[in-house]
Parts: sequence; C-alpha cells; structure tokens
Amino acid sequence: MKFRVAIAALSLLALAACGDGKGSTPAAEDTGPVELRMTIWSANEAHLKLFNDIAAEYKTAHPNVSVKFDPLPFESYSTTLTTQIAGGNGPDLAWVLEDSAPDFVGSGALLPLDKIEQADDLAPAATKLWQNGGKLYAYPFSTSPFGMFVNTDLLKQAGQDNPADLVTAGTWTWDKAFAEGAAVNAKTGTAGIVVRDFDYKTWSNLSTVWTGWGAQAWSADGKTCGFNAPEMVDAMTALHKAVFTDKAMPGPGVAADFFAGQSAMTVTQISRASLLKDAKFGWDLVPLPAGPKGKYSVVGQAGLGVLKKSKHAATAADFLSFFTNPANSGKLAQYFPPARKSQLNAETMAKTNPLLKPAQLQSVVIDGISTGVVKPSHTGSAEIAQNVRASLDPLWKPDANVKSVLDNVCTGVKPLLAK
Amino acid sequence: MRFWTARRRDHLAGYLFIAPQLAGTIVFVLVPLVLVAWYSLHEWNVLADEFNFVGGDNYRQLADDPNLPKVLAATGLFSAGLLVLNLSLALLLAVLLNQRLRGTVVFRTLFFSPVVVSMVAWTIVWGFLLQDNGGVNGILNTVGVHGPNWLRGDVTAMISVVVVQVVKNVGLNMVLFLAALQGVPGELYEAARLDGASAWRAFRSITVPMISPTIMLTSIITVVGSLQVFAQIAVLTQGGPGTSTTVLVYYLYQQAFQFHHFGYGATLSLVLFAIVLILTTVQWQLRKRWVFHES
Amino acid sequence: MSHKKTWRMKTALYGLLCVLAIPFVFPTWWMATSSVKPVNEVFKFPPTLIPTSVDFSAYKQVFEAQPFAQQYLNSMYIAIVCTVGTLAVSSLAGYAFARIRFRGQNALFLLVLTGLLVPSEVTIVPLFQMFQRWNMIDTHWPLILVPIFGAPSVLATFIMRQFFIALPPELEEAGRMDGLSRFGLFRRIALPLSRPALGAVAIFTFLHSWNLYLEPIVFLSTPSKFTLPQALTQFVDAYGGPAWNVQLSAATLTAIPVLVVFVIAQRQFIEGLAHTGLKG
Repeated sequence: MKFRVAIAALSLLALAACGDGKGSTPAAEDTGPVELRMTIWSANEAHLKLFNDIAAEYKTAHPNVSVKFDPLPFESYSTTLTTQIAGGNGPDLAWVLEDSAPDFVGSGALLPLDKIEQADDLAPAATKLWQNGGKLYAYPFSTSPFGMFVNTDLLKQAGQDNPADLVTAGTWTWDKAFAEGAAVNAKTGTAGIVVRDFDYKTWSNLSTVWTGWGAQAWSADGKTCGFNAPEMVDAMTALHKAVFTDKAMPGPGVAADFFAGQSAMTVTQISRASLLKDAKFGWDLVPLPAGPKGKYSVVGQAGLGVLKKSKHAATAADFLSFFTNPANSGKLAQYFPPARKSQLNAETMAKTNPLLKPAQLQSVVIDGISTGVVKPSHTGSAEIAQNVRASLDPLWKPDANVKSVLDNVCTGVKPLLAK
Repeated sequence: MRFWTARRRDHLAGYLFIAPQLAGTIVFVLVPLVLVAWYSLHEWNVLADEFNFVGGDNYRQLADDPNLPKVLAATGLFSAGLLVLNLSLALLLAVLLNQRLRGTVVFRTLFFSPVVVSMVAWTIVWGFLLQDNGGVNGILNTVGVHGPNWLRGDVTAMISVVVVQVVKNVGLNMVLFLAALQGVPGELYEAARLDGASAWRAFRSITVPMISPTIMLTSIITVVGSLQVFAQIAVLTQGGPGTSTTVLVYYLYQQAFQFHHFGYGATLSLVLFAIVLILTTVQWQLRKRWVFHES
Repeated sequence: MSHKKTWRMKTALYGLLCVLAIPFVFPTWWMATSSVKPVNEVFKFPPTLIPTSVDFSAYKQVFEAQPFAQQYLNSMYIAIVCTVGTLAVSSLAGYAFARIRFRGQNALFLLVLTGLLVPSEVTIVPLFQMFQRWNMIDTHWPLILVPIFGAPSVLATFIMRQFFIALPPELEEAGRMDGLSRFGLFRRIALPLSRPALGAVAIFTFLHSWNLYLEPIVFLSTPSKFTLPQALTQFVDAYGGPAWNVQLSAATLTAIPVLVVFVIAQRQFIEGLAHTGLKG
C-alpha cells in the first residue's frame, strides 16, 4: 500500500517536472501596470543612467510601463540568460552577443521585430546576423569595431616608429606590428602586443588577427571547418612565431594589461577607450594592421531582442521600437556604435566620443563598420567554443606543430558544425 | 486500556523525529535519483522549448563520446593523486604535531586555517600564484629553480589542482589523525622500544594498525569528496589545457548548464552515481579485511 | 640521548614544520597584501611580500562593482539558516535512530543513508527542474532546502546518531521517572549533553554552505541574490579595467573574518571536530 502511494507520488512529480510548459502566445499590449526586465551585460553606471533616462521618457507616454535593466556578468552572460529561460524566469528583453546570435535567432526564442522605426536606415552588414527568413529578430544596437590601441610612450622609449605614421605611409602591417612588439619587449621588458580577452582561451578574439590572412573559423554556411585551411595555417604560424620565437606577444599564463601600462599595444574594441580617461601615458588608436590579404576590419556585435515567452511580449516590442528609434539610437551611439547609416559619420560620433579624435573615428569606427567582418558565430556556440579551445591548447607551446594541431581542431569540431 | 500506550507513543515519537530527514531524503535524494534516470531518456531544447523522448540516444552518445574516456581518466587521476597526497601529508603533519614540542598549537592552527577559507577565494588566489609570472615561480626563482607554466601544461595543471585541494583540506584529516594518534596507548611504544624496534618499525606495526579505522574513514570521505570537486576546476583551469583536468562533475556541468544538453547531463550523473556506489562498496569490503579493529 | 642531539632534532623538526607551512600561509598573506597593492604591483616578478605603497581604493570598488554587502548578507544568512536547520533536523533524526525503538527503524536508516551515496552533484539536473516547477529558480530556497533536508544533512544525522548511541542510557532513566515525554528527554537531557557533536555538525554545515559554488551558479542568476563564492568570480567586467586587485580585496573580505573567528576559537573548533563519531 505504502509502496503504491510512493509510486503515485513519484509519477506525479515526474509528470509535473516534465510537462511541456508551452509559452504563452503574445497577447495585445498590456494596459495594466507592467514592469519589463531587460538583461544586459554592462554594469557601467553611465550606460545604466542613459538606459534609465530613455525608460523614464518612455514612461511619460506609457505611464503603466516601467523597465528594469538587469546587468548580468559578461563572462557567463549567454549561459546565465539561457539558464534563466530554462528556469522559467527569462527576461522580457535581452541583449544577445554575436556568438550566440544563431542560437537565439534560429530557435524561435525571439519575437520577430516588425515595428522598428526607419528600418531601411539600418546598414545591411549590421543586420545580416540577426535575420532569419527575411525577418529581423534582434536589433543590432552595437556594432563595435576592433582597433589597435598604442602606448606611444613605450614605443618611443624602445625607439620604434609611431604606428599612426605607418598608417599614413601605408606600411602598417602585422609583420611590422609584431616587429615593434618584439623590439619593445627586448628593450624594455614590457609586453609587446596583447589581444585583449583572448588569454589563450577565448580564441574567437583571434579573428581580429587571422582575418588579415583571409582565414575564417568556418565557412559562411557554417558547415565547413576553416581551421586547417592554408590561410589559417599561415595566420596561426605567424601568431605562434610572434609569441614563442620573437616574443612580440606575452605567452600563455602571463598577465599584462595595456590600460595599466603593461603592454605597448592591444587589440580591442573602441568602447574600451573610456578606460584611458585618466591614462598616465601617451596613447593612440589606429586601425588593425594589414595582413597578407590587405586591409580589413573586424566587428563585435550585440543585438537586442524580445523573448517570445515573455508575458508582456507586445509591450516589450513596443519599448524596443522606442529604445532604438533614431533619436535614442543617436544617444546610444556615444557608447555603442550605431547601425543606422544616417548616424555613421565622424561628425555625429565625435560629439559623443570626446576621447577619440575625428580621424580615429573615421579610420577605425566608420570604415570599420562598413567593411567589417563579424566575429565568428554558430549554433551551439558554447559547445563549439569549448571544443575548439580544448583542441587549440596544444598550439600554445613552443614546439607545437601548427598544421597537425589545426587538423585536430577540425576533426573535433566537425560533428558540432554539422549539427 | 488506553490506545496511547507508552510503547505506541514512543513509536509515534520515533516516526515524528525522523520525519523531516526522511521526507527530505525522499524528495531531495530519491525522487531526483529516479528522475535522473527518466531524464536520461530525454532531450530538452531550452530555447525552442521542446522536451522529447529520445530513448537510448543519450546512452549511445555516452558510448561514442570521444571525451568520456579522457574525462574518466582525469577523474581517476585526480582522485588517486588526492587520496595519496592528502592522506600521507595529513599523517605526516599529525605525527610531527604529536611530538611534545612547544608551539605545536600555532602550527596546528596554521595547517588548519585554509579549511575555513572559502574554496573559491582560495582557488582565485592560487590562480594568481600559479601564473607563469606568479608567486609560486617567484619563490622558486629565489632558490634558483625555473618553474614551469603550471596551469598550461597537462601534467602540471593536474598536479596544481590536486595540490591546491590538498593544501586547502588536509587540515581536516590531520586533526582526525591527531585525535586518533592521541588514542594510541603509550605502553605499546614503550614495549616496542624495549624490543629494540626502530621508530619507523614502531610506526608501521603499531601506529598504522591502531589508527586504521580513522585511515579507512578519512579515505572514504576523501575519495567521495574528490569526485565532487568542481569549484577549483571551474576557477583554476576550466577543465584545460585540452581536457586534461575535465573531471566528471565539471563535464556534467558543462554539458547540462553550459551547452544545455540536460538529457546527456542526466546520463553523466548516473555514471557519477555508479562510480560513487562502486567505490564505496569496494572500500567497505576492504575495511573488513584491512582494518585492525573496530571501535 | 645527548642534549646536543635532541637540540638538533628539534631544530630540524621546527625547520621542517616551517617549510611545510609555506603553502598554507603564503596564499593568505599574498592575498591580503596584494589587495592593497597598486594594480601594477600585483604582478611584479618576483612578487613583493610587503606592498611598496598601500592603496585601499580597490576595497571601495568591491562595493561599487557589485552589491557586495548584500551578497555578504546572503551568504551569511543562508549559512546560518542551513546550520540551525540542519542541527534541528539531524539531531532529531539521529536521536530517534539511536535511542528510540520503532518498526522499520533499520530499513528507514538505510534508506536515509543512501543520501551519503548520492552527492547533490548527481541530482543537480532534476533538482534544477523540480525547483523550476516550484518557481524557486533564482531564489535562495534551493540553497537552503537541499542542505537542510537532502544529502548534505545525512552525514550530520549519521554523526549525531553515533554520538547518541554512545550516551549511557541511565542518564535518561531519571528523566523518564520524572515523567518527561520523548521530546522532553531529547530536549532536556540528550541535547544538552551533545554539545560537542552539535558543535562539530555546526562547523561542518556552516563551512559546507559557505563554500557552496556549483549550486549557486546553477540556481541563481541575479547578482543581488548571489552568494560570496559566486560573486568572487564575477569581478571581470565587460567595459571596465582589470579587476585583479578588486577581486583580491573581495576575496580578502570573505576570508579574513572567518579566519579571525577561527583563530580565536581554534581550540574548541579543532577539538570539537576531532572528538566526534568520525573518529572511526
């Protein structure tokens, strides 16, 4: 008897836990009081203030709607967001990072956005990643190019040419950059070039280098592995030599922070310029050096979408249209380079980026966005990232055989790309 | 006669007393255990919101998973390394502190102190110290040794996580051994000395057998604990380099909560459960044969 | 034995102890001192033992970067609730299994003991989905309910049972004569006598809860609800500078208070742990 009760209780629990929990279909806009939650990964006070100002403005027209901006830690952002959704407490709106864009856009987790104001103003290069079947699923609110920050004091101290002059002369190449990095390291002991946030783990940041060789992580359709293609082998060989032979870049397990004056150059997104507000050294921002395949640029993207499962999806979609309209897009541009063509010019951007000179904005930001290659993205990105990281690890040793390591990367990642 | 006799009342009291623990065990241990088996037959796609029965797919994946043998090897290596290093160091420290020396209380406090520091804080600090240009190599440098890049080599990374864990927790076993050592009657050593036995001989034939129940118990706790290691891997190596420090719990976490393969994660949970079950049974059997006496 | 020889032995012994103590002491020392070093000095090679200049600004940033005081409170209160709850649940169950005879006792004890074989890591996936059904994801409930009632408390129940078994039965006889109920016997007689075991269980439970890492990162996703271990790993931000010294300051803040309490009460602490049923 007791046994049967226990079984009944068990199966009830099991049923309860496995029910399908169908998402609610998006209803009409709410009229009662609504609090929308938007997950973001910046905890920067200035960013939050701007967002809150925009939300307050929206509230004057829609007194029943307030918006809460919920910063999640960047490192684990996509994991946390997905876990929140799995746990049944996903947000109403969410920032989506470029690497997980295909997961979100393709799965049907996001609501199609059909009320974007002046949608034809959006640069096609910026919206490509966020579309599926001709519909836009997330608004590309930030399209942030990578550039090279330079510590001019350190370079001068090591007797090296100023990269800005090299850019003008047309000789700003990776070969030259590596040579300068090696010289700085040899003469001052300070690190040469650091690809920020790479740390020999987050390999997708290396796309800022290998794109110069014409290499790509996988083909445009995401089906073919590109790691053992000749371009990638050349790029990685150059990188390996720069790290282990020439010491132009600090090796694995060595911490060096450009913004604390510990390296001569660093590759990172221009939004980091704000860290140089109180810099105690002379600095400059130049485009990424040219690779064997010529000049190029790489951008990181962030989209903003509405979760289909949200109870207030229609309201959230309306707020999103307001948040991204031309006026607000202009305000957001001071931190997040916009996707709107009308706002992509050095004059408009100079007003909101006091730390950067118009020339820097033109060469790195404006040119970068229009020609930029977006960092790699794929469905199942977390698993792919982990898999590639693990098989790429043997490369970061002095005696590594680049080709065979890269062949192994492809062997390992192939089944995941096929999924 | 009244219904509520003292005997009946005692029965009722017994059931009431154990009720919270029993209910908790059922709800938070046994039901989840059954559910793990159930989930291992399913796949849950979080973003698309689909929960589908997939039969034996997850088990087939288990058999074909190229990572699994490496993960199991890493788990075994970690547990074995931890067990040996932890118990021998704990015993060494306990024996040293059991000498009649001034200041042993100070040393005892020092050796025990990492136990109370939170594991994540401890691991973060070691993460800095084990960098190529970090504190450990700095110390080695002063004695003329060029240290390896600890967290970036397969072997040294494993050594690092084992050592970090041992230094953190060895104090606990040390204290248990100390208590056991103090329970060994002094006359036994006296007799051994009269027989002309060396200190090592006395240690082997008196100390070890006398404290064998404690050795057994600490080894069970240490091994089961070593299978649950997560924080230090997550903070120190993230399972790398390659998959050299990806132990089972970390792999399970990755699959379930980072890649959101909840079904496969559940399947891996069952593997973990099977390992715990087998190891505990084996150790329990060994106990009968090996342990000198039961207290 | 000659005087000289013992003296040499002692020196060697102290020397050995000092060398062995380095890995136990150096990390804590380095953590505390580096947290007040300027960022540039954290990675000086070889490391500096004493900061060249002291800068407490990182401590201010700890509280600016995250709701750290709130997270501290979260960890504190969760650990305290877990400790009190576990003490109640496991002393009751341990007492019943040790001193009361009732039908099915042995079978039920074995059932409870399975908890020792099922670490919560094994059941983390279904626990996540159960708590999701109960709308308890991103709340502190899973971090409280599972340790108090689930697998972690089983060890505590086991320790308590071993202790109560060893209590001489005569002690309760007098109480029974006075007409105390079972609960009265437990509360008035058995419990006051079990202070050492309760102390050990309290320490174990507090440290276990204080150290939890996998469970918080699985169940919690809002920074203001984070616990300390989880918060410590999050001092790396998207648009900020390096957070090394901030992270070290936060780590110091979590470690030092517990260490101070420990050093003050180390005797009770260590001896309490040593003299439990865990002796073998």
